[in-house]
Amino acid sequence: MSVLPPDLDAAGFAPFLADLRGAVGPDWVWSADDDLFPYRDSFSPVWNTGEERHASAAVAPADVEQVQAVIRIARRHRVPLHPVSTGKNFGYGGPSPNVHGSAVLDLKRMDRVLALDGKRNFVLVEPGVSYFDLYRAIQDAGLRLMVDCPDPGWGSPVGNSLERGVGYTMPHFRDHFGAHCGMEVVLPDGEVMRTGMGAMPGADTWQEYPYGFGPDPAGLFAQGNFGVVTKMGFRLLPLPEYYRSCMITVPRRRDFVALVEHVNYLSDSGLVGEVEYGSPLSVLMGNADFLALATQVGGPSDAAMDAAAAAANLHSWRVELQFLGPEATTLANWHHARDRILGAIPGAQGFEGDHFPLPATEAQLNNDTQPWTTSIKRRRSLGVPSLGAWKIVRDDGHVGFFPVLPRSGEAVFQVQRVLGDAMKEFPSLPPFFNALTMPLFWHTHTFQMVFAPSIKHDDPAHNAITHAAMKKCVAVAAEHGWGDYRAAPIYQDEVSATYSFNNHILRRFHEQLKDAIDPDGIIAPGRGGVWPRRFRA
Amino acid sequence: MITRRDLIKHGALGAGLVGLPQMALATAPHGLDAMLLDTRFVADLPEGYADVPVLRFAGDVTSVWVDQLDRRWRQPGHVLGGITGSDALFVLEVLAVQHGRRVVSRTPLGDARGDGITAVSWIIAPHHPSVIV
Repeated sequence: MSVLPPDLDAAGFAPFLADLRGAVGPDWVWSADDDLFPYRDSFSPVWNTGEERHASAAVAPADVEQVQAVIRIARRHRVPLHPVSTGKNFGYGGPSPNVHGSAVLDLKRMDRVLALDGKRNFVLVEPGVSYFDLYRAIQDAGLRLMVDCPDPGWGSPVGNSLERGVGYTMPHFRDHFGAHCGMEVVLPDGEVMRTGMGAMPGADTWQEYPYGFGPDPAGLFAQGNFGVVTKMGFRLLPLPEYYRSCMITVPRRRDFVALVEHVNYLSDSGLVGEVEYGSPLSVLMGNADFLALATQVGGPSDAAMDAAAAAANLHSWRVELQFLGPEATTLANWHHARDRILGAIPGAQGFEGDHFPLPATEAQLNNDTQPWTTSIKRRRSLGVPSLGAWKIVRDDGHVGFFPVLPRSGEAVFQVQRVLGDAMKEFPSLPPFFNALTMPLFWHTHTFQMVFAPSIKHDDPAHNAITHAAMKKCVAVAAEHGWGDYRAAPIYQDEVSATYSFNNHILRRFHEQLKDAIDPDGIIAPGRGGVWPRRFRA
Repeated sequence: MITRRDLIKHGALGAGLVGLPQMALATAPHGLDAMLLDTRFVADLPEGYADVPVLRFAGDVTSVWVDQLDRRWRQPGHVLGGITGSDALFVLEVLAVQHGRRVVSRTPLGDARGDGITAVSWIIAPHHPSVIV
């Protein structure tokens, strides 16, 4: 299958490739089907259908100067580029482009850790540096710093943060874009720009003050298409001295509302790291009667759920708490959390789990000594990159819908009901939303709940159901003010359209900017739902 | 669990070697440089089956990647054979591609388990000029 860029025929494509080869070397430009296979979205629900978007070529520059050269070549030939750092954005499109026929700008060769400071606690990296690379660089340098990494950890800090990815340690580090500090960007005309203090020659504070002076455009480059980020700084958490895990359970369904409020207080006060909500009742989901109750239209009553919990002699909810800091303060923080919650919620119980000094041993990272069946993935909780998450991926992969939700128990119950009912249109899919579906507390100040139906490369009918369910989820959620935070290219227009305040003024503002600096759409047209005039027409 | 008889029956590694491209053979005239076994599917190889270092893991590729392949695949050469779950192979294949390598042979060994994971024998060899010796 031969794919060509938009508005370009084979005769025009050949000189584009020749120019790329001249800029980066012949070994770093690809256009053959076999070579482009890795740039497909292997988790795509439109795999092998007419909706799948393929690259026409891929090019891997070695440095910023080559990035500039590639952008100028693309501008001359009017070929859209789709930049990727390491291309591991699985579930959200992987390395596949928004526009069929784009050339993937693969930044994997730019893999240097440019600065790493264990006294001022920051790092400056290129896009091809993975979380594994950064973790190893810190270990090799003997520094006591913690990386807040996603799971799996094979992606890059630059790529993950630009997708507004998340981690699992302390609140302000879990928001990876929020933890960035300074970036270098090659603009659509090939100019190099630095944000924040990086704009001031001689400043030694690029990774310590993100704003500089005047408007800060850094946000335009996250899920955006206004330039190619070639360097990015991040704040790092000093390696805490001690780790402590504990759990609190509450008996009744409605107790969840108060439990969330208390945990919000603990988190916003900086007293606790990532928490894992769960329900002891999940062991009952194999029982047909309980499953029917938990998935019934309109949701079950509190009384019915409480009766089921009482009959099973189980509490309704639990939260696993993780504390990081000096040993004494982790203990004091746990005692404070326990006393606060147990004093406010009748019947609540507290349990103490593993605790140990950091860095953790291999056995402690394996997390098999917790005195209860835990949902905590210890490696990611301690900033140690892992590939173990793949053990939970079913079939050939999955898509992902993660709406941004109010951080309250009432909101969780509402999402359970609304999206649970909406997804009954797709009975072959697992009941992602039911009376036990838990919020994820990954972003610093908000909840998300996950919808991630699988895809199968050899089952287009199954994929079509997944595709339709994703679209319906986006639409129904938006009717209630729950917006997706991140999406694959095939869903970005639909998600963008839900952010429609004042006749889509946010999108129109982005379009004005795009038209001004990249009217031909050289950098990732369509990314984030932002199209330049050329493609809008 | 795959038995030694299964290995012989499927001709697991031998079948894989048939597909090895000449450039990989040129870099590894004696065949493989290492074998990777996913102990969810196979505990060990028959004696003398492959006279190379054998790495073992149980579904989670993390330690193999961190302790062995991450460093090794930054250098030219290194032909790796394996018998693993299809899920682990997906992870390895993505990492391999990023390091200029390809799965040059893959042979499913029987039907998928209940969780959809199939045992696969495979070979990953250098492909990009930057890692071919």
